[in-house]
Amino acid sequence: MDIRTLEEMPISERKAYALKKVKGLQDKLNASITIIEDDEVKADGKLMGIPVALKDNISTKGIKTTAASDILDNYVPVYDATIVKKLKEAGAIFVSKTSMDELAMGGTNRTANIGPCHNPYDLDRITGGSSGGSAALVAAGAVPLAIGSDTGDSVRKPAAYCGIVGVKPSYGRISRYGIIPYASSLDHVGYFTTNVEDAALALEVLAGRDDLDMTSSYEEVLEYSKLLDANVKGRRLAIFGNVYDAISDSSIKEAFDKIIVSLEDKGAIIKKVYFDGDLMKCLFPTYFIIANAEATANHSNLDGVRFGHRIDGDSMEDVMMATRTRGFSSFIKKRFVIGSYSLFEENQERLLKKAQRVRRLIVEAVLNELKEVDALLAPASGSIAPRLDDPSSDELSDEYLIAENHMVIGNFGGLPSMTLPMGFKDDLPIGINITCNAFKEEEMFDIALAIEDITGLKGHVKEVL
Amino acid sequence: MEISEVKKLAEMLMFKLSDEEAQEIIEEFKTFDRQLALLDKIDTEAVDEMIFPFDVKTSFLRDDEADHILSQDDVLKNVAKTKQGHVVVPKVVR
Repeated sequence: MDIRTLEEMPISERKAYALKKVKGLQDKLNASITIIEDDEVKADGKLMGIPVALKDNISTKGIKTTAASDILDNYVPVYDATIVKKLKEAGAIFVSKTSMDELAMGGTNRTANIGPCHNPYDLDRITGGSSGGSAALVAAGAVPLAIGSDTGDSVRKPAAYCGIVGVKPSYGRISRYGIIPYASSLDHVGYFTTNVEDAALALEVLAGRDDLDMTSSYEEVLEYSKLLDANVKGRRLAIFGNVYDAISDSSIKEAFDKIIVSLEDKGAIIKKVYFDGDLMKCLFPTYFIIANAEATANHSNLDGVRFGHRIDGDSMEDVMMATRTRGFSSFIKKRFVIGSYSLFEENQERLLKKAQRVRRLIVEAVLNELKEVDALLAPASGSIAPRLDDPSSDELSDEYLIAENHMVIGNFGGLPSMTLPMGFKDDLPIGINITCNAFKEEEMFDIALAIEDITGLKGHVKEVL
Repeated sequence: MEISEVKKLAEMLMFKLSDEEAQEIIEEFKTFDRQLALLDKIDTEAVDEMIFPFDVKTSFLRDDEADHILSQDDVLKNVAKTKQGHVVVPKVVR
């Protein structure tokens, strides 16, 4: 389902169409936390009458917003996030608050308090996370646009596993006001579509300076959808060699190689680049330390006193202790303990500050390469979507440390980065990732459009039977 | 790291852990330690910490005018217990 196809349908029917789909898919995908039935239809705007799904960490006035956590299972925001206002002004209609990993702190969507979200291509497989519900609804053709958030790769990885387009623009390109935070120095608003043109249009609506988010950018917002140009003649593109080499699945490499050859045939100038191997092995631990430390601090306000689910007690300490003990899953508690460990004064130098310094070295290395090329290309993941009952990967292998975590570079450096489908393995989608220089979204969309032309997967969705 | 140490850490974060949860964290710390060894290999001498992606700062002060105000009703809408416009919590001073 794409925006243009929906526009051929009378406005009055679009919402009913999407709602029927969202409801019909719920038993199979478990993608929605709240289904929104009574949203008003506005009569104009770039997204006039277009059904949109929102990740459940996006504040919606009067609509429950739980971040898939028991501690917020009764929380109803009294204000809209800036992007919710922008989408409403553009005429969008909201139909779902979507499932996610609890507090966005995961990459599988297995940790949602409503249970896991299922991949439309194989219900026994994960969608990826943390924005899995949004990815699933777009991939299953229920909505043409769904909003997520991306702190490590939480939009781009589910996009790869679900065979759709996932965009994380530059840091500050989209306001984060009203998004329940995870790690403020890494958090971005991102989104899913079924094609590049819709992705470009969505950014026109979502982007822009917002005085309510002091990290939002003054950079001009372009009419990205009108500027699209699939001509890659003379474009300088770099294959991310460390990622390529770390992938053991030859069929994923072959699909990637085919795209590279086609880009070269179209006139792109391709080279392979390698960064320091030891530095690349630090991608995951660097992210893990910074993200958990920031999350621990950000979520100290979840205490049941002013909002959220409160468990009574004899003292304030008892209330907070009982509320937080019952309100967070074991998974989240683990993350908070590790995060706080890095924040202790005696550990800061060795852990948090070390990670922040390594972050700088990683970003400087990548920016140095991006002076020479327009984009860095790599398979988004070394595998198809894992099965729901898969044990976790070997967290010290290159495949895990590099191939499964390379997209975090976009968050470290605030670089625009997107994933789009590059084919299938065993009838399951695989994706390609593009990362560009900051605020070069226009270039990123052009390269993506060229790849979409090569794959022929524009608008592809999976009918869930 | 002992179970009691992990539980103490958790209590500082205002939640309790079961023995099983504490044991899981101890196991996770073992992997975490091995990943930290990877960071130790990197020479970060004279490298500044990177706190945010860009060094662009918002450098203006808004006018000192009330803006984006929530009504008392709205502020209290999500509070579990209220009384006469206040948040009710257990007695703090005894």
